[in-house]
Amino acid sequence: MTISARLRALGVLGMNRRNGVYTSRWNQRMHYPSVDDKLETKRLLRDAGIATAPVLAVARLHSEVRRMLHDLDSYASFVIKPAHGAMGNGILVVLERDGDWFMKTGGQWVDRRALSYHSESIISGAYALGGQPDVAFAEERLQAHPDLRAITAEGVPDVRVVVYRGVPVMSMTRLPTRRSRGRANLHQGAVGAGVELDSGVTNFAVCDGRSVDVHPDTQQAVLARAIPEWERVLEIAVRASDQTRLGYVGADVVIDAEHGPLVLELNARPGLAIQIANRAGLVPRLTEVDRSVRPDMHWSDRIALARDIARRARGGSLQ
Amino acid sequence: MNRGAALTGSLLVATGLSIFAWKTLVLHLPVLPSNVENLWRVELEIDARGSGQRGSVRASLPDSDSQQEIFDERQTNDRLVFTIRTEKTGQRLGVWSGKFDGVHNLSHAFRVQLAEEPLPLPTELALEPPKDVVDSYLHSSGRFPSDAPEIRDLLANLGPPNPSDPLGQMRVLLGYVTDEILTANTGSDDALLTLAAGEGSQVGKARLLVALLRAAGYPARISAGLRLHADKEAREAIWAEAWVGGAWIALSPSLGFFGARPPDLLLLRTGSSTLVEETGLDALSFRYRVLRESLRANEVASFMVPSNPLLAAISLYRLPVGSQSALRILLVFPIGALIIALIRNIIGVRTFGTFMPLLISLALRELPLTLGLALVGSVIALGIVSRFLLERLQLLLVPRLGVLLCLVVLAITAQSLLGRTYEVKNLYASVLFPVVIMTMLIERFSITTAEEGLPAAVRRLATSTAAAVCVYPIFRIAALEHLMFGFPELVLSVMGVLVWIGGYTGYRASELWRFRSLARGREEEPR
Repeated sequence: MTISARLRALGVLGMNRRNGVYTSRWNQRMHYPSVDDKLETKRLLRDAGIATAPVLAVARLHSEVRRMLHDLDSYASFVIKPAHGAMGNGILVVLERDGDWFMKTGGQWVDRRALSYHSESIISGAYALGGQPDVAFAEERLQAHPDLRAITAEGVPDVRVVVYRGVPVMSMTRLPTRRSRGRANLHQGAVGAGVELDSGVTNFAVCDGRSVDVHPDTQQAVLARAIPEWERVLEIAVRASDQTRLGYVGADVVIDAEHGPLVLELNARPGLAIQIANRAGLVPRLTEVDRSVRPDMHWSDRIALARDIARRARGGSLQ
Repeated sequence: MNRGAALTGSLLVATGLSIFAWKTLVLHLPVLPSNVENLWRVELEIDARGSGQRGSVRASLPDSDSQQEIFDERQTNDRLVFTIRTEKTGQRLGVWSGKFDGVHNLSHAFRVQLAEEPLPLPTELALEPPKDVVDSYLHSSGRFPSDAPEIRDLLANLGPPNPSDPLGQMRVLLGYVTDEILTANTGSDDALLTLAAGEGSQVGKARLLVALLRAAGYPARISAGLRLHADKEAREAIWAEAWVGGAWIALSPSLGFFGARPPDLLLLRTGSSTLVEETGLDALSFRYRVLRESLRANEVASFMVPSNPLLAAISLYRLPVGSQSALRILLVFPIGALIIALIRNIIGVRTFGTFMPLLISLALRELPLTLGLALVGSVIALGIVSRFLLERLQLLLVPRLGVLLCLVVLAITAQSLLGRTYEVKNLYASVLFPVVIMTMLIERFSITTAEEGLPAAVRRLATSTAAAVCVYPIFRIAALEHLMFGFPELVLSVMGVLVWIGGYTGYRASELWRFRSLARGREEEPR
């Protein structure tokens, strides 16, 4: 059997199929701005009563950068982000400060001018998708939940839930490593661990395309870990996707030590690596959602459907 | 693939192919270029400006002779009267006359087949020149001062005339002017000044040689024409002709030929070095555009005047030379887009920018691949190094890009200067617009390095280069250019294939590698 045929038998979703069959059909272009602009996403979710990471200050113009940094004077740690960034680009994390000196992830100290330069680059559009003028904003720095600290180095882990037509179909937790420089991106070296939708427990993990049992930095087991507050994670992922009117969304949820689960951002073009972290293909689950989902289903019923589909997929009774 | 895409794609492919089939099978248009040598299309473009007075523009028109065959002449006259006049020397002149008011765009175009085999030298060396030739071409004049003492002295130093070997003596004279007098664009046009300074223009050297030939007793005259070069503006050439053994033979002290014109030289005028003259005008400018034909004369005719009147009306071969050469490149672009689509959606390789590799390979079109890559590579390498240094200055985005753009421009300027030194002509003749693309490439490379690390950036640069190398040949294959230019309906077929690719929802080749652990894992450890 060729590799291609084997992948097809497993129902692995490829990029062409994701674009041509799922995102182009279910994600209408007109709804993209609400997820591509992180501030817009936050406003949308706040109106619906869904928790997001608190915003500390915003700079829309070059002239506002000074005031934004001034507003941050009372915070010891924070994160500066572009509103239109993609793949975690342009994110500057300040872990500690000493007057006008700030420690970034990785322990490097920079001065106030470097922060203002970074913010101005963001506003000029250096990290925006199309290079258009952007907005810089500062967010509260989230803290990893105590249950996940043992399997995290440097950054904050998140949970990616792919929600198709309002039904979660697959999820994984992304654990930053020293090599990923605190980022939760698999292609930069973070660990991706598949999370069973019905139980919220990790069952498989990869790092750099290789199967792993322990976190490469902390050497703690990454398998059979229960994600804290899993119910709530699924709930906000589903309700957030409902707000966007997009049919194929990747919801990134962080379980903050203080605030609990909150939505970090939403993605209209979620990646396909989640299938490697779960050692499973998306297509059978997407097909089953198409078959079973009904319009006007309450979100709790859709989560119940998702659990049922996940159980059946594991049992091998989905085709 | 969804049915809509499959259907639309098939429809487009079929439409393009059926028109193509009709043109080749029914109308018998040639599919492949026949690689005919030395067939050219030449177009003289004249901009003449006057302020209401009567005047005229006179252009030298070429004649067919044993080394060139002129056909398919046509001209535009833009409100003026065009006549062809034959002077008593036999030189043909195209004359536009009338009231010149404002700018008039005139043109005269023709096709020419240049002889591939050089003519044999004349053998009847004892023949005396006829009287009219002697009257016109043997006397001393201001332009050809064969009576001047400097000329007489020089001739005496070079050796006495030898009536039994006129060709040998001509070679000696030619050799002297070729080797002892430098050719300089800034040199004098005057024969005696050229001799005194030891350097002269093409005209100066040719006049000096004519004077020497006349002093030695051979009727001689000056000739002017064009050196033809594919894809470049034709350059004017001036040389001398001498009458010997019943014929005129050509001698050039600047281009270095003797006996017959080289196969890339077109004769436009004899007896004078002026190609276009005017009277009664305020301003005049002219240029020659040249295009190498890839078809035989009768094949060109079949494209230009097909039996079908509709086809004749839309034949691209009837366009002016300038738009033809632009269209020849333009019509190859869809093939480039097709290759890029294959690379990205079927193979699944990530590149910087969507069509950036296509534009880079367009920029390299005129250069050999390795040289081109080395040139563009060094510009980009310089840019990347400067970009890292610029990072320290903490400049805003747009000015920073501007500074990078200036650096790219400076680097290209420096390379062009070097290129002149090393005789690589027209190094970046067509590379004006990719400057912006190179700048963006440098910026994207730096940001990718910062965000995803140097290995990822280098990897993507390598894949972008590989994509450019894959696209590059399409701009160099003459057969492809001919095919797309002669059969532009094939663009429809290319569109159809693009629609097919757009509807392809199977795996990309790179995904087979990416998901290999999935394909393997389940088989090794069944659960």
